[in-house]
Amino acid sequence: MPPSSDDDVAERVVVLPKPLHARPAGQLAQLAGRHKETTVQLVAGEKKANARSVLAVMAMGAVTGTEVTVTATGPNAEAIADEAAGILTAAEAADG
Amino acid sequence: MTEGIGLVGIVLISHSEALAEGAAELVRQIAGGATVVPAGGTEDGSLGTSTDKIEAAIEDADAGSGVVLIPDLGSAVLSARSVLADLAGETTARLVDAPFVEGAVAAAVAAGTGADLDAVIAAAEEARDAAKF
Repeated sequence: MPPSSDDDVAERVVVLPKPLHARPAGQLAQLAGRHKETTVQLVAGEKKANARSVLAVMAMGAVTGTEVTVTATGPNAEAIADEAAGILTAAEAADG
Repeated sequence: MTEGIGLVGIVLISHSEALAEGAAELVRQIAGGATVVPAGGTEDGSLGTSTDKIEAAIEDADAGSGVVLIPDLGSAVLSARSVLADLAGETTARLVDAPFVEGAVAAAVAAGTGADLDAVIAAAEEARDAAKF
């Protein structure tokens, strides 16, 4: 694993298997909130959200099949982007 | 960050016991790990607010890092202020002006990550400007 730097940028593109409900939105916001030095941005079409804001993530209104681009910028960007992509694609995202 | 001290607690003050408890249940689902304590209704379970219930909820929610009080409407604010006045100097609880559901969700998500009291209050207040869709 390469050493992290503040300039790390990692991008993941996922297709939602389920709508982006409240619970995964909360998980994303808590992931982003735990990594204060890394910015996690979500983009779905014209909708954008900073993952730290659970309300902004929910307001994206992303439904099943939506393509979401996750961009993490900062320390541990690769690992954080992977974790965010994992939340977005998890089966339990159904329960919301 | 407040690791080792405990998370900021959230108290949801509503005129309705069912509303406070339902909101707390919803918020806990979204914000895993956060401490969310409902203080709804009067002592006998009818509509209204109870300073005794609010005071007890503050105690339950306090893990040493402060407590955020989110009122639903009108006299919930007055009751909360009355409790804070009684506890003057003996509590870190703070009353915030935020939408009840969105503010509680935003505050609890922040609290669950170990954010400090000011950051949790800021998260709740930002909810005022958040569009629902």
